[in-house]
Amino acid sequence: MSKPKVAIFDFACCEGCQLQVVNLEEEILDLLSVVQPVEWREAMSEKSDTFDVAIIEGSITRREDEERVRAIRERAKVLVALGACATVGGINKLKNRFAMEEVRRCVYDAAADMPHLDTYPTKAVGEVVKVDYQVHGCPISKKEFGYILRCLVTGKEPFVPTYPVCVECKMQENVCRYEFNEVCLGPVTRAGCGAKCPSAGFWCFGCRGLAEDPNVQAAREVMAEYGKTPEDLQGRLQLFNGGKEQAS
Amino acid sequence: MRKKPTRKPTIRKLTDSALRTWVAGLIRRQRVIGVQADGERFAFKPLTRAEDLRLDYDVTKIPPKKLFQPAAEPLLEYDQAANYRSIFETEPFVLFGVHPYDMVAILQMDQVFSEKHCDAHYFARRQNATIVVCDVQKASPNVFAGCMGTATIRKGYDVLMTRVGGHYVVEAGSPKGEALMEGLKNRPEADEASLHRREQVWEDNAKFLVRHTLRMKPAEIPALLQRSEDHPVWEEKAARCFSCGSCNLVCPTCYCFDVRDDVKWDLQGGMRRRYWDGCMLLNFANVAGGHNFRKNRADRYRHRYYRKGLYVPAKLGGEISCVGCGRCITACVSKIANPVEIYNRLLEER
Amino acid sequence: MMKTRVCACQTKDVYLPERARVVASEPMTATERFLAFELESGRPLGHQPGQFVEVSVPGVGEAPISISSSPTRGAAFEMVVRKVGNVSRAMHELKPGDPVGIRGPFGTSFPVGGAMKGQDVLFVCGGIGLVPVRSAIQYVLDHRKDYGHATILFGTRTPAERLFVAEAAEWARAPRATYMETVDRGDGQWTGSVGVITTLLPKVTIQPAKTVAVICGPPIMYKFVILELRRMGLSDDRMYVSLERHMKCGVGKCGHCQINGLYVCQDGPVFRFADVAQIREAI
Repeated sequence: MSKPKVAIFDFACCEGCQLQVVNLEEEILDLLSVVQPVEWREAMSEKSDTFDVAIIEGSITRREDEERVRAIRERAKVLVALGACATVGGINKLKNRFAMEEVRRCVYDAAADMPHLDTYPTKAVGEVVKVDYQVHGCPISKKEFGYILRCLVTGKEPFVPTYPVCVECKMQENVCRYEFNEVCLGPVTRAGCGAKCPSAGFWCFGCRGLAEDPNVQAAREVMAEYGKTPEDLQGRLQLFNGGKEQAS
Repeated sequence: MRKKPTRKPTIRKLTDSALRTWVAGLIRRQRVIGVQADGERFAFKPLTRAEDLRLDYDVTKIPPKKLFQPAAEPLLEYDQAANYRSIFETEPFVLFGVHPYDMVAILQMDQVFSEKHCDAHYFARRQNATIVVCDVQKASPNVFAGCMGTATIRKGYDVLMTRVGGHYVVEAGSPKGEALMEGLKNRPEADEASLHRREQVWEDNAKFLVRHTLRMKPAEIPALLQRSEDHPVWEEKAARCFSCGSCNLVCPTCYCFDVRDDVKWDLQGGMRRRYWDGCMLLNFANVAGGHNFRKNRADRYRHRYYRKGLYVPAKLGGEISCVGCGRCITACVSKIANPVEIYNRLLEER
Repeated sequence: MMKTRVCACQTKDVYLPERARVVASEPMTATERFLAFELESGRPLGHQPGQFVEVSVPGVGEAPISISSSPTRGAAFEMVVRKVGNVSRAMHELKPGDPVGIRGPFGTSFPVGGAMKGQDVLFVCGGIGLVPVRSAIQYVLDHRKDYGHATILFGTRTPAERLFVAEAAEWARAPRATYMETVDRGDGQWTGSVGVITTLLPKVTIQPAKTVAVICGPPIMYKFVILELRRMGLSDDRMYVSLERHMKCGVGKCGHCQINGLYVCQDGPVFRFADVAQIREAI
């Protein structure tokens, strides 16, 4: 089998997910045995116009980004959304709650009118083009990235959990964050991270987006059980799931 | 049939320091998994120092099923030519400090994994284990083993320990247990007074390990469920269910699993593993192509209680597949997973 | 670190597939492929009509697949696979000689040696529901003396989705056999019957006291076919259904295929309808 040519493109993000890929270390040689990177800004200087697989990191925040990602989609046989910014819009969606003019002024002040800063409400990659594979998380899990890439090159649909993080929290034998009287997004967030944050003593921030058919209404009601309010929950949800939360 | 010579089991009396010496000796010779403090709670973990063993625990976060059916367990290796080879865990270990209700659950799992088709992966681990059961010394916040008849146990363990006053009574329950107690042969036999006090502990545990009171005999649960399929409690509770599977995963008698293959980077060979799964999870009853045969939250919620109280008991000769450990009650964020509350409701509002 | 040892000498591992090879692989429709296999050991699979096997494709996974051929037809066993998941997609790529893993056969079978014997047999199949039932059809036609009249009704959405077209022509010509087919929507060339499967039933006369029906199709089909058969006087204990669930382990452990208290992989996939009529999750 000839190795598929892979190009990684970054949009609005911190590029931390690409860094996770670079951080694969020894495994990166394994990765190179199944794919051939042809454009990857963090790891190589070459650029290429021909590729089979496009990996998109970051979210779409300007009209010109939208055009660029559409052009990439047209050339790619397979398109992968890499990381929360790409899969769910991520932290970039926080700004969608404000007027764009206000956002521009606040961040760039006097430079706000520069043409390349013409920001618009953040979109996940899947809101603009068809996405074939999603690698969730902020940042992505190296292990899951490897697994999904292997599925991709063998034409297999990967198993990506649709159930909540609680499953993996139990597998890790964590004590529920609610027992520490914290608002945790685990019960409504898609698993697959191995419950990293709760295992390290934090609540779940919801970076992998909502689980399938999340019971958000139950979450609101349950807040009272713990002396919390639905607003406490809403506040937590805004970080990664701002768009979705407002829709509900 | 020739009658087996009945030998009286060895029963010894052990002080705390004698216990520590014994356990330290075991650790030197083999793998010992024991109950230890883990953060604010307790867990079964590999024991490296006898002092870490906490037989005064209330309940562990996850039941000992994880030793026999780990959360992620290799089943097979394969290559591209479809050579599949079984992988078995073969290292013997001592499992120290299992509570009676968890031992009852293990005995139930022995039955479901051997029924009709024997699960060699489960039994590879199971047969390698020597289980030391310890009677409960401290009730956990949600235990109701006293209602389920599982507060004490008189069979199935290799060794049974009971704290009476300032020492332990230690009794062998199998040849494996006798072998494990070889190291105690210089310790005194348990005296009448200790044995008497042990009876008292059993009576007390059956009476007091009842943080929730089931208002029926467990044997009445199957018939109760048979007429409760349309009870409003299912919809009512399920409205607050996250379908997060926590109640499944912490349950000592939940054993459903998923099986998935991964391929190595050479894209040639790989491994087939099984993972804990749960019937409360949304896609549990999905078939290829996506149709979900149990899409409704309330149907999944009901299914779990029916499994515990009706379906699995049919495989177990009527024994209820809930041992009253109360872990589901603690683990449920929504506080909708109290089996006692459900069964009592069904009884009261027919 | 967990110490593991690879070993094949433990007690028989019910999860361990046996190697088989593809002996035939042909496209059947746009989404279905016909495949035949033989165990590498050369021994016959030893299945009964209606049973299923677990097929492992190396590197991909394992899936339950119905056996579509009768044990009366030799050591090879046949399947028809619709492209719906990872394993079935990979099976569409299989070529003669390719290795796969097989576990099974598992589950119950159509009562060819029991309730069906000496009776008229009515097969009612929708879409790929014909696939498992074909094993029983072949069996009945291969033991023609042991059964009364055989009626085969087959419905699909479109003419292009019909399965075993050539073989069905043979069924139509077989002694004391009737074959009828219908499609939900015709195409330009279709001159046959148009309408859902239940529109064929009024064209059939049955003697309810000496007829056994075998029904298999998409979930929606059962309700309507069963209603119609009851109306025709057939009792629930003379109807057999083959139900689909995800039989992941095949040995009654994993829990995925459960219908209330029943394990489809053990108690099914073939059920006497009278036994499941009252079971909420069944039909």
